[in-house]
Amino acid sequence: MRLMSRIAITSMLVALAAAPLWAHHAFSSEFDVAKPITLKGTLTKWEMINPHSWFHLDVKNPDGTVTQWMIEGGSPNTLIRLGVTKYTVKLGTELTIEGYQAKEASNKAVGRNFILADGTRLFLSLSGAVPGSGAPEK
Amino acid sequence: MHSRFRSSMRITIAIALAATALVPALAQGQKATKSWSMPKTPDGVPDLQGYWTNNSYTPLERPKDVTKEFYTKDELKVVEKAAAAREAEQTEPGTVADVHYDFTQFGLDRSQTRLTENMRTSMIIDPPDGKLPAVTAEGQKRAADRAAERRAQGAQYDKVQNIVLGSRCIFMNAGPPMMPPGYNPAYQIVQGPGVVMILIEMLHEVRVIPTDGRPHAPASVRSWLGDARGHWEGDTLVVETTNFNDKAAFRGASENMKVVERFTRLSDDEIRYQFTVTDPSTWERPWTAQMPFAKINGPIFEHACHEGNYGIANTLAGARLAEKKATEDAAKKGGDATKKTGDK
Amino acid sequence: MHPRLVGTIVLAVGLLVPLLISAQGPSPTAAYRAPRTKDGKPNINGVWQALNEANWDLEGHGAAPGPFWQLGAEFAVPPSLGVVEGGTIPYKPEALQKRKTNFADRMHLDPEVKCYLPGVPRAMYMPHPFQIVQSTDYTMMAFEYAGALRTIYMNKQQAPADSWMGWSNGRWEGETLVIDTTDFNDQSWFDRAGNFHSEALHVVERLTPASPDHLNYEATIEDPNVFTRPWKISMPLYRRVDRNAQILEFKCVEFAEDVIYGALRKVPLK
Repeated sequence: MRLMSRIAITSMLVALAAAPLWAHHAFSSEFDVAKPITLKGTLTKWEMINPHSWFHLDVKNPDGTVTQWMIEGGSPNTLIRLGVTKYTVKLGTELTIEGYQAKEASNKAVGRNFILADGTRLFLSLSGAVPGSGAPEK
Repeated sequence: MHSRFRSSMRITIAIALAATALVPALAQGQKATKSWSMPKTPDGVPDLQGYWTNNSYTPLERPKDVTKEFYTKDELKVVEKAAAAREAEQTEPGTVADVHYDFTQFGLDRSQTRLTENMRTSMIIDPPDGKLPAVTAEGQKRAADRAAERRAQGAQYDKVQNIVLGSRCIFMNAGPPMMPPGYNPAYQIVQGPGVVMILIEMLHEVRVIPTDGRPHAPASVRSWLGDARGHWEGDTLVVETTNFNDKAAFRGASENMKVVERFTRLSDDEIRYQFTVTDPSTWERPWTAQMPFAKINGPIFEHACHEGNYGIANTLAGARLAEKKATEDAAKKGGDATKKTGDK
Repeated sequence: MHPRLVGTIVLAVGLLVPLLISAQGPSPTAAYRAPRTKDGKPNINGVWQALNEANWDLEGHGAAPGPFWQLGAEFAVPPSLGVVEGGTIPYKPEALQKRKTNFADRMHLDPEVKCYLPGVPRAMYMPHPFQIVQSTDYTMMAFEYAGALRTIYMNKQQAPADSWMGWSNGRWEGETLVIDTTDFNDQSWFDRAGNFHSEALHVVERLTPASPDHLNYEATIEDPNVFTRPWKISMPLYRRVDRNAQILEFKCVEFAEDVIYGALRKVPLK
């Protein structure tokens, strides 16, 4: 049987919105693409809220002082269906954040990647969280 | 900055996820036709209750170079795999697209929620070409007037009212008709005597639909989600919604839009959802679309979007700061001939 | 048995029974038995609304001017006998101070002004109707105010995270729906007068049909961070018997945006 032509597939992909495009635009107005950052800190709170969750981290500065950062992450709702709860990420967990700083504050950022001490990315490596298994158990 | 790590890890994960997501669909297709009877609620009507998703890569309109109504199973596999890989694609550091948390980390790309099985090349089934009907002259004028009104309000971050409705947590995919949102495509149906309640996860919208035969609310009572009335035709729940306000504007519709939805449970695992949109002041003719709803695990956690919407304040504050800085920089450059920054 | 002893026992029981019934609250002398749903539970489906001034201030209070003189009598505070059993809310001293500062700045701090979710129990006595939809596994409460929703899990489930409306598990005890709610955030208020709670809030409610058209409602509120002991409110909830009564849509975000973001406009509001 003949599969769809390459052109047909491409135009089909173009027709699909991968994610709401407005979401990306709004983010680059809130956070500065010219201010990438990498931070390492310990988690003091994960606000599991919508539309986006917020990670509060204590980040030790080179001069020994500590700054409290707020890092934006994703909605927790699908993670909750995958078994994540407010007990999943322990307080004090060390996180490395790669992201972009907010335009209006020096201690806020969006986290592109949330990396645990063992080098794996948060939630993708949790045992028990099985991505794609949204179908109920039979 | 871990870029090689990102590309190989992400695509591996994405393909693995896409494969996993397809497993339930294949299993369903291969299931022998066991006799299945429609479950009933204690009140004796078809039972539509549970947690459901309309997660899908199917577009509303048929893509430009596609003329047939259905993909083959192999074509669909290719399409879905490619779409999943595209969603998980690495973004280039330092680009606008990179200024966002990675969706796959939070389970928010479409491959991490059960994909509904849909062989169609478009959601639209009528007109038969799978595309929206032509827009009337009145509809075109209304679209132009709305665009002009938006421009007259100024730039997007001059005030919160200029920001898109979804970002303000006012209105998104609840419709009706209920379209798949970009993520969190979850719904819950609960039935009581003479009423069907549909909870839509995004923005935590609640539709309470009486099925007791009462009339619509008066024409002067308008709302974002309209006024819904349901009744049973055999085993199908038919819901007619009118009384939309003029801001909901589904795909450019007017407040006179009428939506008729039809919910039919096909199996333990699937509800067929079909809707017809009628708005003679916007489209030359009514149009009908269809999509499956597939069963998922719950729960639906509180989507208190407006309450948690730090982003609006952050963005507006950032815009004001940028304006202030631009004014200060211009002042430094030489006093009187300051160029006013983008004011309207 | 000796007839006089029997007579004494009958008399004693006859005196005790009405006492036992009336001890449960403002109910008629004979306990009302509500019609049943098809799966055998007391039927509390329908549209309900509180008819009191609890949302202004849970405690008893006299009439008072509103915060904006321009609105005259229209937004003044109506008087109320109060719904708190014992009269006053048992605050810890430092918490009482916070209630005072809440009250002084209530037009900025009250979540209701910002169209934020009402929390529990406030949702139950907002000046808007709500609708109960009962199924076997869930008792849903859909509130007209801000489209708020309570999901009461009738098969006990654990909360995954904290929320404005808390996480509710429900069970029937005879004619009474008992709802146990925990895992709140600390953001909501109990009324417009600044009464508040912390994340430790724990609410146990009892809903008992008392007639075809009203429920008796009680809520026991416990929060060791804020109060010296648990305390209770009670009130009737009335059925909206208007023809074709339904909850309508009160999406109030648009009404509140300038309150929240007005100062961040390019051209500030005056």
